Amino acid sequence: MKPIDENKEGIGGMINPRRYGIERVAYLFMRLSGLGLLAYFIGHIYETSSILRGEVGWNEFLEITQTNEGHALLAIVIAMCVFHTVNGIRVMLGEGGVGVGKPARPDYPYIPASQNAKHKIGIYSAIVLAAIATMYGLAVMYGE
Amino acid sequence: MVNKMRESIIMKIHYGTALAAVALVAVHILMRLTQNFAESLEYSSVIANYQFLPYAGMLEIILILLSIHGFNGLRVILLELKQGRAYEKAVSYGCVAAMVGLIAYGSRTIIMVNMGMV
Repeated sequence: MKPIDENKEGIGGMINPRRYGIERVAYLFMRLSGLGLLAYFIGHIYETSSILRGEVGWNEFLEITQTNEGHALLAIVIAMCVFHTVNGIRVMLGEGGVGVGKPARPDYPYIPASQNAKHKIGIYSAIVLAAIATMYGLAVMYGE
Repeated sequence: MVNKMRESIIMKIHYGTALAAVALVAVHILMRLTQNFAESLEYSSVIANYQFLPYAGMLEIILILLSIHGFNGLRVILLELKQGRAYEKAVSYGCVAAMVGLIAYGSRTIIMVNMGMV
């Protein structure tokens, strides 16, 4: 039997940010930041368990994190955390019907009412706030 | 049981854990800023944090909230990629098992340090 193309693009389709505008980019970032934060969370739980090996064990592990690479990683985590939080609140509000507009007859050029300026501002705000928090985090980590 | 729970209920739990975690993680981070960042990570300071019961309790709640939110998020992403009865069951049970494992491992650290077993 001839295979049927079911238009399933798999991971390639999921990570393609070129279609549907900034909302699609936010969708991709939301998933990437979620996976990144889960990986960091698991690492953080493992990292903090080194305290069970006493002061020597704790200091040994802390030395690894208190490097430029460690600070850079933490800066990325801060960015992911702030973006995921702010964009997550936007998604929650949208699912609750806040800021998605009123239902209307679909007319050309068929722009969905939900993809409006309010939600676009929400996405751009998440990106800007993530950048500000990252800068602040770096200043704190380097003690300035 | 995992597969029988309605997806709308699971998403309410997902959003509830997210909102609660945002508030508690903010407190957790602010605790690092009450003193110099490097000082707050010193062994004696961290031990003192763990042995302060309300803070240890808060860490335990954060651990549970983020484990539920994180592994449910992973489950949602994996179910978006592929569907199928066996696959969905494997993903759901796998995520619950990983979540329970992480909570157990993190709780072990919190409880042992809180009780002075280091």
